[in-house]
Amino acid sequence: MSRVTLRRIRWLLVPLLVVPLGWLLFTGFGRDPREVSSPLIGAPAPEWTLPTLDGGTLSSADLAGRPYIVNFWASWCIPACVDEHPVLASVHERQGEELQLVGVLYQDSAADAEAFLARYGDAGYPHVIDDAGRLAIDFGVTGPPETFFVDAGGIVRDKQFGPLTDALMADRLGAILAAAGP
Amino acid sequence: MTRFAPIAAVGALLAVGVAAVLLLTPAGEPTDGERADVLARELRCPDCQGLSVADSPTQSGAEIRRQIDRLLASGASPDDVRAHFVGRYGEWILLAPSSPLPWLIPFIVLGLATVVLVAWLVRARADPEERSVPVSPGARRSIHDEAEALDA
Amino acid sequence: MIPTLGHVAVLVGLGLSLYAAVAYLLAGRRADARLAESGRQAVIGSFLAAFAGCVAMVISLLSHDFSVLYVAENNATTTPPFISAISLWAALEGSILFWTLLATGWATLVLYRHRDRHRALMPWVGATLASINVFFFAVMTWPGNPFTRTSPVAGEGLGPNALLQNNPFMALHPPLLYLGYTGLAVPFAFGIAALVTRRLDVEWLRIVRRWTIVPWIFLTLGIVAGAWWSYEVLGWGGYWAWDPVENAALLPWLTATAFVHSAMVAERRGGLRIWTSALVIATFVLTLVGTFLTRSGIVASVHSFTQSAIGPWFLAAILIALGGALTLLVWRLPDLVGGGRPAALLSRESAFLFNNVLFLVLTFAILFGTLLPLLVQTTSGGTISVGAPWFNAVNAPIFLALLFLMGIGPALPWGAASWSTLRDRFSMPVLIAAVVAAAVLALGIRDAASVATLALATMVAAVMADEFVRGTRARSRGRSEAPPQAAWRLASRNRRRYGGYTVHLGVLVMAVAIGISSGLSSDVTVTVAPGETARIGPYELRHERLVVEPLRDDPRVIETRAELTVSGPQSGPLTTALRDYPNSAAAIATPSVRTSLGEDLYVTLLASDATTGAVTLHLFVNPLVAWIWIGGAIVGLGAAFAIWPERRAVAVDAVEPSRRAVEPTVVAPSAERA
Repeated sequence: MSRVTLRRIRWLLVPLLVVPLGWLLFTGFGRDPREVSSPLIGAPAPEWTLPTLDGGTLSSADLAGRPYIVNFWASWCIPACVDEHPVLASVHERQGEELQLVGVLYQDSAADAEAFLARYGDAGYPHVIDDAGRLAIDFGVTGPPETFFVDAGGIVRDKQFGPLTDALMADRLGAILAAAGP
Repeated sequence: MTRFAPIAAVGALLAVGVAAVLLLTPAGEPTDGERADVLARELRCPDCQGLSVADSPTQSGAEIRRQIDRLLASGASPDDVRAHFVGRYGEWILLAPSSPLPWLIPFIVLGLATVVLVAWLVRARADPEERSVPVSPGARRSIHDEAEALDA
Repeated sequence: MIPTLGHVAVLVGLGLSLYAAVAYLLAGRRADARLAESGRQAVIGSFLAAFAGCVAMVISLLSHDFSVLYVAENNATTTPPFISAISLWAALEGSILFWTLLATGWATLVLYRHRDRHRALMPWVGATLASINVFFFAVMTWPGNPFTRTSPVAGEGLGPNALLQNNPFMALHPPLLYLGYTGLAVPFAFGIAALVTRRLDVEWLRIVRRWTIVPWIFLTLGIVAGAWWSYEVLGWGGYWAWDPVENAALLPWLTATAFVHSAMVAERRGGLRIWTSALVIATFVLTLVGTFLTRSGIVASVHSFTQSAIGPWFLAAILIALGGALTLLVWRLPDLVGGGRPAALLSRESAFLFNNVLFLVLTFAILFGTLLPLLVQTTSGGTISVGAPWFNAVNAPIFLALLFLMGIGPALPWGAASWSTLRDRFSMPVLIAAVVAAAVLALGIRDAASVATLALATMVAAVMADEFVRGTRARSRGRSEAPPQAAWRLASRNRRRYGGYTVHLGVLVMAVAIGISSGLSSDVTVTVAPGETARIGPYELRHERLVVEPLRDDPRVIETRAELTVSGPQSGPLTTALRDYPNSAAAIATPSVRTSLGEDLYVTLLASDATTGAVTLHLFVNPLVAWIWIGGAIVGLGAAFAIWPERRAVAVDAVEPSRRAVEPTVVAPSAERA
């Protein structure tokens, strides 16, 4: 390579180093670095049988045939779980016939959970107690709130990492309600 | 001191030999407990900051350790155990990438850099005529300034 | 009123820094000493402005002025005064204010100290430092205003982050670290000045030596303090997790250390201009990358401040600094090439250069590992983890190679080494190392890294001891001094060398301590009811009682405390607790560490049962951990000794005889090329 070419090429060094670095660091914005992509999407939802807050038992078999939403939450998960609580309540109220909503208690005590529901309102859908944390692991949960959307065939179709808003809820519901078509 | 050289060489070789023998001899079949420890160090605690399940103080860490023990006791291999958790969390649950490429890249870079350095050293040595220190324009100015200041 | 004054101070600082940058720029181009002087006054002013801003913030914190958003988020009426004061650097905006104080402080110091010297370089140094300060003041004016008000004013604040209240290290670690980070802008500024003025000979390296090593000392102590703090507070028994922000602090340290070593080669033999310039640029850019990673929220970390609007500003600063400095470097490439006397493949120079290669590969590896998850997420959408197993596996061999070089480098002669010199110097140390390796293996230690660490550390220690003994003997004989006196005089007459050896000794101590404590620590998790005893190693811990009560100092915090009695090597009462802070989801562990020189007994409370009083404890015995901190202190002391001015008649920089500006007339380049 001639000297002149070398002298010209050296200027390429600057964009060559700066642009990829800038692009890489820039793409990090707007993403939650703690969010983990879920391998459950498109796979059958885990099976479980767990005690409920009101003393009974609920199992995944009981939910077969209808789409359902599994929402992991805790009374200490503030403000995220507080923020999404009314969103879940309104879905249960409006669409409780088409789909089943189930709350799962994540590393929390029944007493604290009941206090939370007393304070922020109990919409009436069941909550199960995941005492050992086994269900959270089966669903790949890293921390509340996380919500899973399962269609009528028992396949996980979508996952929400972090609190739900009305808009996000409508978006995610599309994945499971469409599948439950005529 | 020079007469120690052969002894030192022999001593070093002996030590290396002993080391190799001891380190490379398989220590026997690992127990379930040992395998569980190894796995616990490889799996990530889901609700900690980058800690392994072995180091985790949280409930989920404890539950994963219990599941590891249970799985190993029921005859699963370490690969099965890893697959069990990867099926739930994805590759993220493994504290180190499973693909070999990330492990190799730093050493490839090391190799390349070493080659470049050695080549540079050898080449610089090989042309002594070009190696008189050129005086940069800035240095010329410095010298000029200082000469002036001395004259002042 | 006070917060408004604080905000005004920030604006004044911004204005003064802008003025200083422009004044220095013009002073550099026109060689105008008066403009330079004016710029310097402006920099001093910007330091005073930053100081005023900090004072305003601290007063707001101490007086619990919740009309200031920062105070409302990081302070409460129950917060003790000491914690309130150090909350200046507890969270994002305040920490930038504190950073700016230190950055303007360094700028003032260096510009004042060299006010009558290096007249060609200093305006450009001033322009660079002032521009950096402009950036930080600008961040505080727009996206990250620490004095943002909030209305309506809450009656009570959220209180400081739980993790930051537990431990006195909160007062030490950030200031030490920030002093290191901000100080490393000074060598960078000199590098830029050298490139601009084309005064690329070793002069700028000589000037910059102390200005690099002093921040380096702070950075070292800051990193060690951070590790110690993690160890005392986080409860998992370890001190380094390769967390992204830990890595971010280590990166500029690695390149700065590489720079100090290659600068020594350059001072000695000339040349290495591109390399040293590139290193000093990389060091500064990495300090920005470090704070960017902490503040942008793009990587999840123990340390992350919340994701905020500041991120894009820092990214822009990184790209401008890197792009600008690189452009300058590439522009001056013809002046940078060549020079320097070549070294043999086996010589001290080449050992130093290999050490640079290793430091840079380490830097690359750690940066690569930290950013790989982001890269994977961006390109394929998948999430992976790169954690301790990867970092340890990749970095351990490189650290061991560095340890090896640390042993042979200082004992190799400059220029070229003959085989007889090698035999002479290294036979005994290698032999001793081999014996130690065999002994260690015989003792049952099978971990390859630990064995290698111990063997290499022995070799390095033997080489250093040999050097010191030879030198002392020669001096003692030559000058008829008693050995102790000869030893001291030898060291203090060669502070650079023996200070360096002390630093290496500190590194050795840390290496051995880290190797042993990671390889040989033991732990057990056990649940005990009151009256029962847990055992680990030589220790027996009897659980006396479980106490749940509010903290005396801060009644909003509920402490769940296990009171134990230890029998064994360090007997006595011991408490370990979990603290529930109102603004934190999970309880924060306050592990109890019983330290002795030989080992630490480390006890964490994992869980408790209020009804039965039973507790689940995680017990550790960690050998030699105290020596990590001691080693860190030795490193700091050694480096301080190395740069401590000697009481000699020879002045290093001659003060110019006249104070008038010396006009640098352009010397017509002579026809022949020297």
